[in-house]
Amino acid sequence: MRRLAIGFIPLTDAAVLVAAAKLGFAAAEGLELDLHREVSWANIRDKVNVGLLDGAHMLAPLAIASSLGLGHVRVPLVAPFALNLNGSAITLAHPIYEAMEATGHNLSSGLGVAQALGQMVRARAAQGLEPLTFSTVYSFSTHTYMLRHVLAAGGLDPDRDVRLVVVPPPFTVESLRSGLIHGFCVGSPWNAVAVEAGVGRIALLGPEIFGWAPEKVLGVHARFAEAEPDVLRRLVRALHAAARWSETAANHVELAQLLSSPEFLGLPAETLGRILQGRLDTTQAGLPRENRDFLVLHRDGASRPDARHAAWIYAQMVRAGQTAFSAAGAAEAGAVYRADVYDAALGTAPVSSGPAGDPVNTRFGEPFTPDDIDDYLRRVRST
Amino acid sequence: MRQDLTNDPGLKIVIVDASPLRAAILEAGLREAGYVHVMRLAEHTNLLARLHAIDPDVILIDLEDPSRDVVEQMFQVSREVKRPVAMFVDQSDSSTIEAAIEAGVSAYIVDGLKKERVRPIVDMTISRFRAFSRLRDELEQTRTALEERKTLDRAKGILMKMKGFDEEAAYALLRRTAMNEKKRMVDIAQSVITAADLFK
Repeated sequence: MRRLAIGFIPLTDAAVLVAAAKLGFAAAEGLELDLHREVSWANIRDKVNVGLLDGAHMLAPLAIASSLGLGHVRVPLVAPFALNLNGSAITLAHPIYEAMEATGHNLSSGLGVAQALGQMVRARAAQGLEPLTFSTVYSFSTHTYMLRHVLAAGGLDPDRDVRLVVVPPPFTVESLRSGLIHGFCVGSPWNAVAVEAGVGRIALLGPEIFGWAPEKVLGVHARFAEAEPDVLRRLVRALHAAARWSETAANHVELAQLLSSPEFLGLPAETLGRILQGRLDTTQAGLPRENRDFLVLHRDGASRPDARHAAWIYAQMVRAGQTAFSAAGAAEAGAVYRADVYDAALGTAPVSSGPAGDPVNTRFGEPFTPDDIDDYLRRVRST
Repeated sequence: MRQDLTNDPGLKIVIVDASPLRAAILEAGLREAGYVHVMRLAEHTNLLARLHAIDPDVILIDLEDPSRDVVEQMFQVSREVKRPVAMFVDQSDSSTIEAAIEAGVSAYIVDGLKKERVRPIVDMTISRFRAFSRLRDELEQTRTALEERKTLDRAKGILMKMKGFDEEAAYALLRRTAMNEKKRMVDIAQSVITAADLFK
């Protein structure tokens, strides 16, 4: 039995790692996964870097940023497995949402929310009010790019017209309550927790912005991938089996129960179960919104790392001003996503997965064209 | 001697640590070494704004503090940040990052500050964090030993009362049972206490 130290952040999309460790999927591959709960993405990155962790639950953009040396020393990482797609939402403080309702835009559509937000922010600026503050959990995250996409679609400059800050998940609810922030875009379960606490309202589910967006991956150090290819393949197989089990609706009650334990998320199984089923209350009074794609753990090829997703993340980094575009950078970002390791582990022929055309299924605004990032960036910049 | 040459008392240092005791130990160490601008932040609310207001040269932060991700936002050059911040180490310095991460602390410095000026601060932080964790372990061991002793005393008392043993005989019975069952004496003592409670 080979022991591996695996880091995770207490979020719903750690589900596949938890299931692999606790339900026998890892053991079936001769692995014992010691799960280490971490408090920050920076810790996850650093502990993988120095070898205190063999692998971890990682924001896909963090894996790419580290590999490119953006914002930090270069830590070459490999992502051979996608732990999930989607799972995030945008939650706004009640007064903000009410002011958006007053604009008359259709708030049941993503574009309508973006336009209402834009109109309200401009109106506030005209009245000389303080700009609104929105938070995500880390600068290099799909959450950041989603929020920026919505703001841009509302005709706003995310760097000038509002303030974007980082607030760690455990502080989001209190920050929204105290008015330190006016809204946030984060992963599950924190939107549901804020709604249940009555401090905010879910305005948009992630898949209403991008229908098929990368989120968390298994990240390992390139050094580990090179030194122990067999162990890595076994790990990928264990995660694949765990992901298939976790995706199955009939197992969601058991999975929610497992995740609710204090060593993992420490939240009511009922809340987590609703998240797994893609059925979220948007306000404390209810108003449920359903989306089958809210959190995708395995189906339709979701587990296979799609290099086009890495390209999309890279394009969002450029769009956000986190790096300057270069063809070499784009290639390096794409190389972090190792579909070849995934295919070798599962003995499957390489098949392209995910939607044809726009691999993230952009729901409004410019569609992403992985074969021509330059053109995409020109289009998003001119709007 | 080396410290006297490299110490830079004018540097503004902020310690972000939820443990007031450890932060105080570190602050004392830094002040002894001659640093005069040392501040402690234990409250997370609006951390970024407070850091901007203080405008530190060096930020030392506990690894168990979720606010590390807030500090890392300062890596991003934006209108919010007067002076960009970077992680203390660079590629050539992997032993320092390892030592720091293992000690449970992380250091950020204002970009452009020479590493030699900051190294004594980082070295001291690592050694104080290690010392604090040793201290905590020892305290924990002492506390456990004390509790085990109390458990043994209670079990002995029960045996003396119920079986009419003197203290020595009660102790000997506990020890012999522990050896026979390949268990720790304190576990046997706990069983005696539990059983006595049941028979009450």
